[in-house]
Amino acid sequence: MSIEWKARFAGVPLIHWLAVIFVIGLGLFPITLALVRLWAVTGITPLEALISVNEQPGAMDAFRFSLFEATVSTGLTVVIGLPLAWAFGRYQWRNIRLKRALLFLPFVTPPVVAAVGFLALISPGGVLYNIGFDLRSESGVVGWLAAKTGWEHPGHFIALVTAHVWFNLSLMIRFVEPVVAQVNPVWEEQLALLPSGQTRLGRIQHLWRPVLGPATLVAATYTFFFSFTSFALVKWLAPSSNTMESLLGEIGGTAGIPGYRTETSLAVLAIATFQMLLMLVMLILAGRFERRHSQVLSMHHETMNRERHGPASRRWVLFVNGILVLLLAPLATVVLSSFRVRTVNGAGVSSDWTLEGWRRAWNGDFSTTPLLEALTNSLSYAFVSLLVALPLGYAVASSLVTLRQRGHQRAAGVLDSLCMLPLSMSAVMVGLGMVAGILQWFPQMFSFPYLPAVPHIMLVLPFVIRLMVPAIERIDPVYGEQASLLPMGKVGFWWHTRGAFLVVPATMAASLCLAFSMGEFGATFLVVRVGSWDSLSILVDQVASRPKFDPYVFPTAMALATILMVVTLLVLSINESARAWRSRHDV
Amino acid sequence: MRCFCFVMLLLFTAPLSGCLETLEPITADEEGQCAVLDAGRTSDGVLRILTYDIAAFSDEMISTFTNQTGYDVEMIRVDDSGGILEQLLQTQQAQQADLAIGLDNTYLQTALNFCLLQPHELNLTGLSETALEPYDGPNAVPFDRGDVCLNYDESRVDGTNLTEPTSLWNLTEPAWEGQTVFPSPVTSSPGRAFMSATVDYFENDEDNTTDAFDWWKAMAENGAIFTSGWTEAYEIHYSGGYGAWVEGHLGDAALTVSYCHSPGVEAFYGENWTQSTSLTLERSTFHQVEYAGIINGGTELEAANAFIAYLLSEEVNRNMPENNLMQSVLDNATWPETNGYAYHTDSPSLNAEITNERIAEEMEGWISDWKTATQ
Repeated sequence: MSIEWKARFAGVPLIHWLAVIFVIGLGLFPITLALVRLWAVTGITPLEALISVNEQPGAMDAFRFSLFEATVSTGLTVVIGLPLAWAFGRYQWRNIRLKRALLFLPFVTPPVVAAVGFLALISPGGVLYNIGFDLRSESGVVGWLAAKTGWEHPGHFIALVTAHVWFNLSLMIRFVEPVVAQVNPVWEEQLALLPSGQTRLGRIQHLWRPVLGPATLVAATYTFFFSFTSFALVKWLAPSSNTMESLLGEIGGTAGIPGYRTETSLAVLAIATFQMLLMLVMLILAGRFERRHSQVLSMHHETMNRERHGPASRRWVLFVNGILVLLLAPLATVVLSSFRVRTVNGAGVSSDWTLEGWRRAWNGDFSTTPLLEALTNSLSYAFVSLLVALPLGYAVASSLVTLRQRGHQRAAGVLDSLCMLPLSMSAVMVGLGMVAGILQWFPQMFSFPYLPAVPHIMLVLPFVIRLMVPAIERIDPVYGEQASLLPMGKVGFWWHTRGAFLVVPATMAASLCLAFSMGEFGATFLVVRVGSWDSLSILVDQVASRPKFDPYVFPTAMALATILMVVTLLVLSINESARAWRSRHDV
Repeated sequence: MRCFCFVMLLLFTAPLSGCLETLEPITADEEGQCAVLDAGRTSDGVLRILTYDIAAFSDEMISTFTNQTGYDVEMIRVDDSGGILEQLLQTQQAQQADLAIGLDNTYLQTALNFCLLQPHELNLTGLSETALEPYDGPNAVPFDRGDVCLNYDESRVDGTNLTEPTSLWNLTEPAWEGQTVFPSPVTSSPGRAFMSATVDYFENDEDNTTDAFDWWKAMAENGAIFTSGWTEAYEIHYSGGYGAWVEGHLGDAALTVSYCHSPGVEAFYGENWTQSTSLTLERSTFHQVEYAGIINGGTELEAANAFIAYLLSEEVNRNMPENNLMQSVLDNATWPETNGYAYHTDSPSLNAEITNERIAEEMEGWISDWKTATQ
């Protein structure tokens, strides 16, 4: 063992190394097992399967559709999100915390709730339908567009892309707004004195493009990633189309069974390998952009910058507030729909106000899991995910920061990418890993009551690490040097040099963990097939998917969705309280 | 760095060295006999039922069973009948449930071939002969039934725009272009049942030069819509059903696959009003029976037997049409008269005659042919 080898480990405690290995293993193991299992069942290697991906029914259509809708979704998100983030970061705003929370809300809204909200908005009786924009049955303008262009289901496509933009706008805010808010005003002043800074185009070209470019690209990469792997929104809003993710979800249940539907196992192997490689490329790109992005942050004090530019003009106020109203529309529709019932008889259609949906949701009249049990399950999985993911995420982030500070940039980069792997696999792939992988070889896990928390942990860990790394990097090492001179124990030393500075980011990570786990759909959708662990998001989907001969089925589903939304919002409010606390104490 | 990568590689590939050995499924021997497997979990007094979203299993119904017998019940829910079979196959080496409820006769034989069920200990009486026709062995007990058939929208098939088909070939005519929707037999139980019926239908028609898959090909070429499940077909695409009043409805198809009693159910909830009716062409309908079976490798066997007995009791099974929207399997079962439920329910004159054994043997081939025909 070389001295260099020892030095690389010297700065990182052994327990943190174990956490790093555990996290990487947690991400790699299920999917590797799943791939090997599918290999064993089909007798075809992942590479051979990959070559045959174009022969799998629906695979290429799904690939083309995923690519197209993700590209359009990303483009639109940037077009709308960039000016939004710029205005939001540059000027003073009333109730900025509330506005920021509302802008962030869609990202943590469970996709299944968002999907039913959009459905209610675009169906007959919905706001969009009433103003003549029929995206569902594609009559009127949308029907004309379909007839003129020969484009099949443009309405469904528009609805899906709109939902993706709605979902991902907060990413632009999350990544771009802080850069705008903290950009050093001296740069702008100096540029204004130069010939190239005299025109708007010149300022964009010489200041805003290099400053905002990396952050925008990071947000765009993640938007593309989330749109490409969209599952619940596609299932509900574009029923005639499949993304690769929804196709995998559709056929994944039959994969990995020896002697049964081997061709399905082959299709899953081929599509899963193809998608994983694609996402891996996306992940490497995102990592590269993010590293560039992190060098631009923390340039100037945000409050001073905002005071300098003053309140936003009326035009910007209208734009930002308008977007806020649009963002809330699908969620408001969910709540309203829970109180409306449509009935039909020989006399025609009528629509009445009712509390029956809420009564049934509460009493659990349907054969599904009772509401309180599903809510308890959801909260249990969320808290288990939090209890495991937070310390693990901290340990990994701490290791990565230490490695970077000691000059091991490359090693930190590789480990960082490996820890982000679950993000590249997407929820359905993780679920597939659980079903076709671990459960096939370790069936004892069937009786593990918190099984759905395992894929949740895998999926939230990358987010926790992403939040913790910059927070730890910001801590001045001088505190450590000073504390080492004082008489205090190990715990006290850790708290005064690190723990106290991480309370707020840890609270934010915790809230994200809880909200993400509460709304997670894809992985649970697959895991739930092998156990009795229905979460609230699954319950919403189950009830909404039931035959609606009985007109109260839909209001019941909407009532359940409202409960899920409110609980998620409560969790999110904790997040915003933490931000507020940080602003007051400025640690 | 290279050293680290090597260690990581070893760490993650070493445990997989034994994984490439294929796990062989447990199947019946040459005489069709199956060994009874060891219990997959430790007994905890809770009866675990593997089922799909069966409406009849309300909290009230389960509570009554618990009060009557003392057995606690926990439901493990999957998507549909096919999901039950997949779950049983995936967990064959360590079953976690005791009782499977909802396998239908298009899946049952596969479950029997893979030794997924074991004999019950009940003395069954009072079951209708029709319900026992597809299977009357000891490994599964019918608990509800219904006839899968085509449904059409009477307001569109009015004799002017579209006329009532007298042969399945009529649906391949230009007038029907883009007007039909079918749930896929790959992922839908009614879709699978209807595809099986078409095999029998075209084997017994007058034309010996074409088979079912020629018809499916012609249907695909005539713009038939294919969906993954019954719900998407009936609720989103079919214009004659309740979907017309549900968010997300498209209503682009005048004909779909459902049950012969679906118009009756529509009327039951629509105050004796429906614009949907069924098409009962001979051999184009499929008598679907759903079964309860004790899982081979289950733990709470006594409780499982007790639940089957409860499921077949007069108080539960007689109410299947209202509670589960399916027909009871008891002798002299009738559809309720309420709101025209019985009036709008048609009885097929001749269902497709196709055995469970043949379905199990040939289904994968049919599905493959169906995929080729409809691509």
